[in-house]
Amino acid sequence: MKSFLKDIQKYLLTGVSYMMPVVVVGGVILAISLLGADQTAKGLVPTNPIMVYLNLLGKAGMALMIPVFSAYIAYSAAGKPGLAPGFVLGYIANNTVSINGVDCKSGFLGALVLGLMTGYMVKWMKTWKVGKALRSIMPILVIPVVTVFVVGMIYYFVIATPVSFLMTALTNYMTSLNSTSVIGLAIFMGIFAEIDFGGPVTKAVSMFTLALISEGVMGPNGIFRILVAVAPIGIFLSTLIAKDKYTPEERNNATAVGIMGCLGITEGAIPFAIKDPKAVYPACIIGNIVGALIGALGNVTCPVPHGGFIVLPVVGNKLWFVVAILTGAMVTAILLKIFKKKLPAEETEEKKENIVSATEAQ
Amino acid sequence: MKIIGITACPTGIAHTYMAQECLEKECKKRGYDVKIETQGGLGIENELTEDDVNSADVVILAVSVSIEGEERFDDKPVVRTDVDEAISHTAALVDRAVALVKGK
Repeated sequence: MKSFLKDIQKYLLTGVSYMMPVVVVGGVILAISLLGADQTAKGLVPTNPIMVYLNLLGKAGMALMIPVFSAYIAYSAAGKPGLAPGFVLGYIANNTVSINGVDCKSGFLGALVLGLMTGYMVKWMKTWKVGKALRSIMPILVIPVVTVFVVGMIYYFVIATPVSFLMTALTNYMTSLNSTSVIGLAIFMGIFAEIDFGGPVTKAVSMFTLALISEGVMGPNGIFRILVAVAPIGIFLSTLIAKDKYTPEERNNATAVGIMGCLGITEGAIPFAIKDPKAVYPACIIGNIVGALIGALGNVTCPVPHGGFIVLPVVGNKLWFVVAILTGAMVTAILLKIFKKKLPAEETEEKKENIVSATEAQ
Repeated sequence: MKIIGITACPTGIAHTYMAQECLEKECKKRGYDVKIETQGGLGIENELTEDDVNSADVVILAVSVSIEGEERFDDKPVVRTDVDEAISHTAALVDRAVALVKGK
């Protein structure tokens, strides 16, 4: 059972990893196309031809994210023959269909379910013992046609309605959050979004915010993209204000970690967290909660699944985005100064003799 | 002792390369030959050649996503784990790989 869940996690992460650049392309170009757009009753409408074309390009990226996601989930589970049915079935998840008079669009969640079903179905079909004549047409004819037919029918008759109901409920809930529940969401994300600094939990939260992006809800992703930068920048700042608590090597590395934070890569914080979890985890989590709250109250939005200052041009409510990152990072830095134990003086200074003897020992 | 391996994480920009570095460092410290292929955001880098695979004693697959070319190691002892373990418990992971070789 455990390995089954582990497999599923692996498949989903593979899907996310292939989908990520597609969403970045779509999100960035779409955001640019809406700069200076007219506010009309139908939403934002781009004004000049270039912006209209950019808008089309961006929408194409956003439309493809869902099929790419399900296709590569299936690919991860079943290899190459999973791709074709995965793309086709992901496409239907992302398009509205009328079932018993109710419009259903299961979007991200549907694609996730369809991708897994497709993957397992193809994987199972690959184990069929078939005659020589049939074997050559299995991958190009039998597997794709049968898989799309079977999984597609199951989708329309069984899955589509409940999953799209769930997805719609989630989207509606997220768009109608009142201020108390926004604070709840921010605190929740502050605690969990970066609790493993870019690891599996982070990716799970990231999938949740991605699902909402595909439905046009950018707020939770805005909060998340603040948090990406808080811990690494906070650690960098703390090496500046608490020099006596880090070795020279750590202080050196921290500069790189700070730069990574600005570029939206949290993983730089991991070595610090592993070395001193009792200080680093609480400091980062509290810093994240502060950053998340500021971001939520400032209505920060972000249309792309990447964070840090590098996405600033496409972020909504830029000032609050910056304030949230910097305040969160400062809180983290100050708490680290308080929580971390002082190192013995000789460890915080350059120690040339030790380095020499260490090399000799090797 | 020659250890080869592949690292791959979902985003393919940080964990993949950190795990590579940790494994290389740990193996070199013990005086082993080591070569780690990365399958990150830029695709395959530092690719393992046929010679690498033939001459290797053991393979470490520190991957959190599906990788390409896993069939290359079909007749080799393989340690499978996720990319995080290669970063946080590097020594223990290398120990496991060595034990697998010695246990044969």
